[in-house]
Amino acid sequence: MWSVKFEDVSKRYRKGGAKYSTIGSELRDFARRMGARMRREQEVLTGTLALDHVSFEIEDGESFALIGPNGAGKSTALRLLARISVPTGGVVRGRGRVGALMEVGSGVHTELTGRENIWLYGSILGIPRAEIRRRFDEIVGFAEIERAIDTPVKYYSSGMQLRLGFAIAAHLEPDIFVVDEALSVGDAAFQEKCVERMGKLVRDGTTVLFVSHDLSAVESICDRGIMIDQGRDITQGPIKDVLAHYLTFVEERRIDLASHRWNVGTVRVMTASCHGLDGEEKYRFAPGEGIEVRMTFEAPRELERPNVTVTMTDGRPGAIVECSMVEDGQAPTLVGRQWECRLRIDSLPLRSRLYQVWAEVQEANGRGQLMDWMEVSNFRVDAPAGAGPHAVVTAALGGPVAVPYRWDVRS
Amino acid sequence: MTTATHAHPEEFAFDGSRRISYRRVLREVVAYRECIWSFAIRSLRVRYKQAILGVAWAVVQPLAFLTVFVLVFGGVAGIKGGQGVSYAAFALSALVPWQFVSSGISNGGDALIQDAGLLRKVYFPREAPVLGAVGSYIPDFAIGLILLLIAAPITGAHIGWHLVFVPLLFVAIIIPTLAIAVPIAAFALHYRDFKYALPFAVQVGLFASPVAYPITQIGHSWRWLYALVNPVAGMLEGFRHVLALGVSPDWGLLGLSTLSSTVLLLLGFRIFKKLEREFADIV
Repeated sequence: MWSVKFEDVSKRYRKGGAKYSTIGSELRDFARRMGARMRREQEVLTGTLALDHVSFEIEDGESFALIGPNGAGKSTALRLLARISVPTGGVVRGRGRVGALMEVGSGVHTELTGRENIWLYGSILGIPRAEIRRRFDEIVGFAEIERAIDTPVKYYSSGMQLRLGFAIAAHLEPDIFVVDEALSVGDAAFQEKCVERMGKLVRDGTTVLFVSHDLSAVESICDRGIMIDQGRDITQGPIKDVLAHYLTFVEERRIDLASHRWNVGTVRVMTASCHGLDGEEKYRFAPGEGIEVRMTFEAPRELERPNVTVTMTDGRPGAIVECSMVEDGQAPTLVGRQWECRLRIDSLPLRSRLYQVWAEVQEANGRGQLMDWMEVSNFRVDAPAGAGPHAVVTAALGGPVAVPYRWDVRS
Repeated sequence: MTTATHAHPEEFAFDGSRRISYRRVLREVVAYRECIWSFAIRSLRVRYKQAILGVAWAVVQPLAFLTVFVLVFGGVAGIKGGQGVSYAAFALSALVPWQFVSSGISNGGDALIQDAGLLRKVYFPREAPVLGAVGSYIPDFAIGLILLLIAAPITGAHIGWHLVFVPLLFVAIIIPTLAIAVPIAAFALHYRDFKYALPFAVQVGLFASPVAYPITQIGHSWRWLYALVNPVAGMLEGFRHVLALGVSPDWGLLGLSTLSSTVLLLLGFRIFKKLEREFADIV
């Protein structure tokens, strides 16, 4: 049985964003719309489309993730589900009480004490007083505010406010729990407690809708998810597939060597490509497979002993692979104005993700650059995901080197 | 959830339809009565928490107004209470309910701006803070009423069995208060102009209502129109009859004002519900 259902939901914010207007601008807007209607023109839709015909369904008791880059429309979707803002098109359906946790210190009133806030917020969420009373001590304990419970919240630190907000929302037994980025604030210990609490809610059968950039938390908490970008549904399904798609999406981009603004040195790189050991051009490899990087260079004159260096990175600082003529001394004796350089690596012991290929050319004595460091190509290593709870995220963000290994555990 | 309370979870559908059902509004208000109650308690707490005089403000305000009225209208302008009642008794009997109306409108009209942070983050019926803010002035009204009764021997007000009509009159005066506060709250969120115009409008309202002067100042044949156009006039006059003159309310005027304020209230909720759809996007 479904618990949350988005049916072809769209949300358009007026005038390029959420903001309030003046009567004057409103009247002008009204006159413009009326004019258009009188001339029988199609009403021109203005404003930002934050969600564009998105549909998904969350089963009862399921934990579901919304993934996407900044500005994709994730928070908008959550606000619709929390009934905070109204969809422009389509229907949002829900079964049960929605507990929403958005932004820091959600719904905490700063003039009131912690105690008063628990009662106020609880009743705003529509929770019976008896239930609030039953849960009161648990909330205070979880938020770690025992000593400050009768202090006005305005004297709380932002961390305390956040803890209070989360504790109230997470303990008052919502049927559908909506969490937006809340875990990115607070210290590590509290974050861990929140993830634990959410895990418990999931085990108890609460439907959880989760938005976070903490991908390993997403992977361990959620069963399924949807990835959206610019308001559109990109993919949805089992969380590991969606995460894998998202990670690929984030890292992939084309390299345009021709318009590269760094490509202005004495030596310029004209083409660069990756090949399998059989010579076929390709950009996807399995761990342990071999690769050949082919580059063509151009220079205004013939060069003696140009030293080429090629490195590979995984998007983070520091080279993972480095093959350099200034080290091995294998620079060619003499090259013409156009020359090709092939680097053959017999085996890539790398884990799944996108790798960038960088190149640099130094003078014969290694004292000056003929070509500055430039990203010339990239390729992906794909491996089947493991069976562990963080398989996708750890493989993508953990250490880059793949080694053959086995565990041997005794007690 | 396995607990009994969640065995039949409420199902909701949230879409772009523009239909407004008064039945649904009423059902939600009833369902969220504890939420409205909390908003009222909160307004009360926040209002008096950091004030040294605290609840004494509920007494000071009508007394200050009374002093001014007695000096200006009773003294300078020479308005008489009439029917054997002092001007002080006469003015106070309408000032106390007027205080409720004006505070209710000012604070109810401002309630959504005050709670903009909540609007952005939590779902609840959007009228709850407005209803709570208006409701939070009920204790002030009660205190004012007690003050009036204590002062009756001094001011010379005629108080009799007609006091039994006070609850009825109070229920009646809540209608125009909400009828104005509810749509104003929504407008003020959309256009901040209202926020600045509101205190001014409330001041004008004081002089447009029979508070400082008796309704008898208005020609007999025009009185019914006055009670229709100014939806608090009938109630204020009723309070005056009961709390100063010691007679029954003028049922005709009260009926007219109740009628027009009920129409206003329905209209006000309609406007509110229509504007409500964009609250979270504009705050």
